[in-house]
Amino acid sequence: MAKELLRLDNGTSCTAWNYSGTRLAVGSSDGTLSIFDSRHPPSSSSLLSTFKSRILEGNIVNIVWLPPEYGDAVACISADGIVSLWEEVAEDSHSLQWKMCKSFGNSSSKVLDVRFGVSSTGLKMVAAYSDGNVRVFELLDSLELRNWQLQAEFQNVIESVSAFGKASCVSASISWNPQKGGGQESSFLIGFNSNTSELNSSKVWEFDQAHQRWLPVAELALPEDKGDEVHAVAWAPNIGRPYEIIAVATRKGLAIWNLGLNPDQNGRLSVERVALLSGHEGLVWQMEWDMSGMTLATTGHDGMVRLWQANLNGVWHQQAAFEPTS
Amino acid sequence: MAVRGIQRFPQNQYVDAVRWLPIESALERLAVVALFDLDSDASSIQIHSLNLNQSSLEPYSSWASPSRISSLKASHFLNKPLIVASTSGGSLHLLFSDSSDASFQSQVSLPEGSLHSVPASSVDLLDGGVQCVTAGEDGKLNLVAISDSNLNYRRLFDSAGLVSYTAVRWASPSEFATAGYGFTLHWWDHRKPGGPVSHFKANWDKKFTSGIVHSIDIHPSRKHTCLAGGSLGTVFAWDLRWQQQPIILSGAGAGSGNNAIQSISESEVWEVQYDRCIKSNTSSTRILPSMICSEDGILGVIEQGEEPIELLAEPCAINSFDIDQHNPTDVICSLEWEAVAILTRQ
Amino acid sequence: MPSDTGGNGSLVPFSGDSTAVYPLHHGLASPIRRISISFSCGNSLRLSLFAAASAKIVEVKLSGEDNEISDAHRRRIAYGSVAPFAMLQSRRSSLSALLKTPSPYHSDWWEHVLQYSKEIGSLLGGPKLTPSPIIENPSAIVKGGEEATSLKAAWELIEMFYVDKQSQAWLPERLVDWLADYDSLFTSTHETIHGKLVDFEKELVNIQVIEDDPRYWDLLSSALSVGWLDIVAKMLRLHGSYQLDQLSHREIENGLVEAVALLISQMPHLRPESVGKLGECYKSKPDFIKAWEKWRSQITKLDCSPYWIQCDNQQTREGLRNLLQIMLGNSESLCMATCYWIELYISHFLYIRPFTMGIESMYNLAQKCIQLKPRSSTHRLSGLMIGILEENTEVVLAECSREFGPWLVAHAIELLTAGSEQAEMLLHEERYSLGGISIAELHRLVYAQILSSHALTWQIAPIYLTSCMKQGMGLLENLLYRQSVQHNDVLLKNIEICRLYELDHISSNIMKIAGVYHWKHGRKGAGVFWLQQAQDASCLDRIAQQLFDSVGKSISDENFKQWEGMIELLGSESKPAGGLEFLHKYRDFKKSLQKVSVGKSTDAARQAVGSLILLMKNPSTPQRFWLPLLYDSLKLLNWQDCPLLSVSETNLLLNKLQELSLAKLRPQYTEPSLPSDALSSIRLALAINLGRAILDE
Repeated sequence: MAKELLRLDNGTSCTAWNYSGTRLAVGSSDGTLSIFDSRHPPSSSSLLSTFKSRILEGNIVNIVWLPPEYGDAVACISADGIVSLWEEVAEDSHSLQWKMCKSFGNSSSKVLDVRFGVSSTGLKMVAAYSDGNVRVFELLDSLELRNWQLQAEFQNVIESVSAFGKASCVSASISWNPQKGGGQESSFLIGFNSNTSELNSSKVWEFDQAHQRWLPVAELALPEDKGDEVHAVAWAPNIGRPYEIIAVATRKGLAIWNLGLNPDQNGRLSVERVALLSGHEGLVWQMEWDMSGMTLATTGHDGMVRLWQANLNGVWHQQAAFEPTS
Repeated sequence: MAVRGIQRFPQNQYVDAVRWLPIESALERLAVVALFDLDSDASSIQIHSLNLNQSSLEPYSSWASPSRISSLKASHFLNKPLIVASTSGGSLHLLFSDSSDASFQSQVSLPEGSLHSVPASSVDLLDGGVQCVTAGEDGKLNLVAISDSNLNYRRLFDSAGLVSYTAVRWASPSEFATAGYGFTLHWWDHRKPGGPVSHFKANWDKKFTSGIVHSIDIHPSRKHTCLAGGSLGTVFAWDLRWQQQPIILSGAGAGSGNNAIQSISESEVWEVQYDRCIKSNTSSTRILPSMICSEDGILGVIEQGEEPIELLAEPCAINSFDIDQHNPTDVICSLEWEAVAILTRQ
Repeated sequence: MPSDTGGNGSLVPFSGDSTAVYPLHHGLASPIRRISISFSCGNSLRLSLFAAASAKIVEVKLSGEDNEISDAHRRRIAYGSVAPFAMLQSRRSSLSALLKTPSPYHSDWWEHVLQYSKEIGSLLGGPKLTPSPIIENPSAIVKGGEEATSLKAAWELIEMFYVDKQSQAWLPERLVDWLADYDSLFTSTHETIHGKLVDFEKELVNIQVIEDDPRYWDLLSSALSVGWLDIVAKMLRLHGSYQLDQLSHREIENGLVEAVALLISQMPHLRPESVGKLGECYKSKPDFIKAWEKWRSQITKLDCSPYWIQCDNQQTREGLRNLLQIMLGNSESLCMATCYWIELYISHFLYIRPFTMGIESMYNLAQKCIQLKPRSSTHRLSGLMIGILEENTEVVLAECSREFGPWLVAHAIELLTAGSEQAEMLLHEERYSLGGISIAELHRLVYAQILSSHALTWQIAPIYLTSCMKQGMGLLENLLYRQSVQHNDVLLKNIEICRLYELDHISSNIMKIAGVYHWKHGRKGAGVFWLQQAQDASCLDRIAQQLFDSVGKSISDENFKQWEGMIELLGSESKPAGGLEFLHKYRDFKKSLQKVSVGKSTDAARQAVGSLILLMKNPSTPQRFWLPLLYDSLKLLNWQDCPLLSVSETNLLLNKLQELSLAKLRPQYTEPSLPSDALSSIRLALAINLGRAILDE
């Protein structure tokens, strides 16, 4: 049932597959980035190492691929909150190599998570910072990953509360609406794990084209749960449902939300929590939807991989689980 | 020229290319099949023995290739079958086979990465010789010759990626043609390095549709004409003597200018070969009849000024085919759905 | 388990009631500290398992497929199903267009479905396993065959009950045949008559006097109970009384064996034809009933015959009379003779309720048989059969899905809905709880996901996805977007699918990805080609800027040939090549300039001037090229024979120089690398030309 694709060295800390599942980026605790390529795409049986270099001082904790429309590039997030963008290019007569094109974040304001979204106007990057700020950057030139412009900066709150103490965030989770094309405005979802309860609950942000600003259009938390720290969020691909599905993990469990498509007169989208599922002993590490948005895979503190689906009545339940054994 | 029989042989592996092994034997029919097993990631070139009466196609001998075959040619040298293959890893292999038992006798190769950087390259072998020309999507052209049982190569041209080559074919011992993106064809003479001696780009179509030439063929009796097949069901002939006027036989340009030409396919024409089966009047100024296979599952014959003849309409793509030199009524083709088909014409 | 599902009884579990926990053997020395997950195409899940000292990447395929069929065979089935499936869909749409009614079901729709069913069925295996003796080897009782699969058995069962209207009249007889073909499959889970026969056959050579072996008689009654008449006849021939040296003193015994064998061979059947099988066939029910009664009376007569007393072999006597009891429908004998409920069920049809027609009350009988033959382990075909007899489409679907996987469900739905309005409603009704799709569509999507997860089958997923009204196209778009663009053949196959289904926005997106990929990986020609195909003007504009830099740096007369091919590709002006058309004109200009440098022809020079003026007039010519262009043209400006530029043309160029001097003041202006006196020599040449032109005019 399980087929081994690759064995990796000591110190491997994170991995990321590209859009087609033919390239694998691997980060290590000593700051090394490695790239493995499928020898015969789309077969993934034999992966060959095509790049390996120490690119950062600290531990690489997460790697995110950029959308393929912008080339073969990854964003590496280090434990000390620095994001660096690396791109594979062949410049002039030189052979193919990975080059750094940009870095974000510093020691005082660490980047916790970044995600890329393609909008009608180009590539956008959302970055969540340890001080509770959310910044949206725009790529200025579609063929050049060096030039980014800060488009917006805000905090993950519905109402602009005047003051709360200096926020300190442990982690953040971002997920773009995976919808490609169409006339839809770009939107994303973000939740924090911080000491400031107002920031925590996951909110859906949508770009308001008319006023060129980002607006919160939905909050995915019941009134009594609003301060709960969010561990992971995942926006499901929508292949034709009349509503969106979003998964949000907090210590209370794994919540499945249905999000309406049409805003009310206040511009808000209707939300409904359709399931609260328990598993992973309350701490979810990661959530991923399949390409149909019908199956959710999760991993968590209990060391299991769990798969969740809705049955014919729309009732969410655990479909299967995998338990690693030696 | 009706189809007398069609037999399909499931391979349970992806068929990258097929060729007949040109040996004159009353007893045996041999085919070369390049296979790729996705589950184990293993590539091989196999010689299969065909028995049409018992409808069997059995592997005789097999050679493991370091990577997938991107181009395959079969010929003979000193009365022995010779197979040349270029791989997606950029290596080139010449396999000498024994005509008596169809086993692989020896092989010489150039290692991965020496001729081309990935991904695909095309190779052609000079008839009756061991001189090869290779052309790659990386924009490199190489001449490969055997000497002291080693392969030597000479870089003829390097476009540094500005131009990618998708097909190559010898026209004479010193001339060959290459094909590429945007329906382009280049004519080369390896005695005149530095660039093509002539080039052609189809711009009959004023719409935004352009395409790639996937395969070219040159007939030994008409070395000045290059037959090309590619995207959008396009098949055209380029006569060096009337440079900018291609003769469109099917496809993209056919509809707009001249409605009389019927397209045999609307999708990628993966391979094109002159049909040796049809004896045409060689003195005629018409383009000789040719056979094509396509992504939409068509194997057919095109003749200038005639209705195209569909020999086979499969529910899946036909990715390559070969007409047997010695029995030109027989055609072998590779099907997308992990099978080889053998077609016999009357 | 989910906390809010309590009391919300599910209609049918999607698959399985309780969550299955699968072990994931990783073989790493230390325990796993962290796992990361990534969905690949379709339903293949990639896991990264991080342990203290090492890590491992594994791929898990989440399909409910069983191991009965090899992967390669499964792919062959998948390929083969495409054409019948597509044909049926197109028939349905043409029929519904014809009838202009919401339901496409025509009175003879089932005939199309039957044809579809036969075509699909033929993919699942060749010749059936037949228990009749074929080889003239006396010890070979059962003929073995490799081809019997549960999948084929399931397909035939569904076809029999849902589609094949013609054979509904003799359904019980079809079940008899079905069991004869597939009884061997049940051997994997429990004892069967077939299994017992095979075991006995192996020992046959060691048995001296066969009629003294009680198993011989047991097996005879077993085989007879499920109607395997040929086997019974053949086994009876093994009876010792047939041996030449025995015949004389066992006349009566042999006569009785022969009489029973004759009766068996005359057993009436309600079925159209018999293909070389024993028994007599009747097409009409009245004829059959008449024959049946006559046959039964003959059995009763034999049963009361005085010859039994004269038969001195006790085993033979009892064994034969038991066979008569079977034929007389003694329920106790039948229960003894059969191993599990389906066998018992079949024997009931044969001997107790021979006049049953159609499916009426079949379920009650099945329940009775299950009670009589309870089993701890049940075969998956058994569950399917119960669902069918219960006439419960949900159960049938759930069984198919759980036990046989998505291929069967996606294809069998056509059979289930063929004759039943109610099933049609159930399976095609759109449900909000499923996100607005029907159960039928859901199962097609699930199957398409399976196809998508393999590199050799993803291309057939579109056939199924396009038959999904609501969500098929959405999933198809995601599938196409996730294909790698690295290899041209895969890329072109992908684009071809976009073309077939008119997904232009997806294909331009894919072409753009390919264009950027090739451009950034040093294959500039291929990159430009794909970006042109994608009509991505903004990317092409950016590329034009980058190219100008290279051109400015590197286009010398020597390496011009290298660029030739690239510029050729850029083609004529009609292509959306952004500023790239400048390069095309620049090439023309350079070419004509070359001609001028070779010869002294004024015509060639005039042509070159024409190109120059076109370039200078064209707004797409970058400003930074103005000065180099003019500098290259010095020879033309200083042409000896006559002034080549008219007054207005000279003024145009002078104006451009003026514009340039203004531009110099801006910060982003870059000085072209030309000799220091370039500007002044151009000015001078232009001034002289202007003077000569004025004089000429």
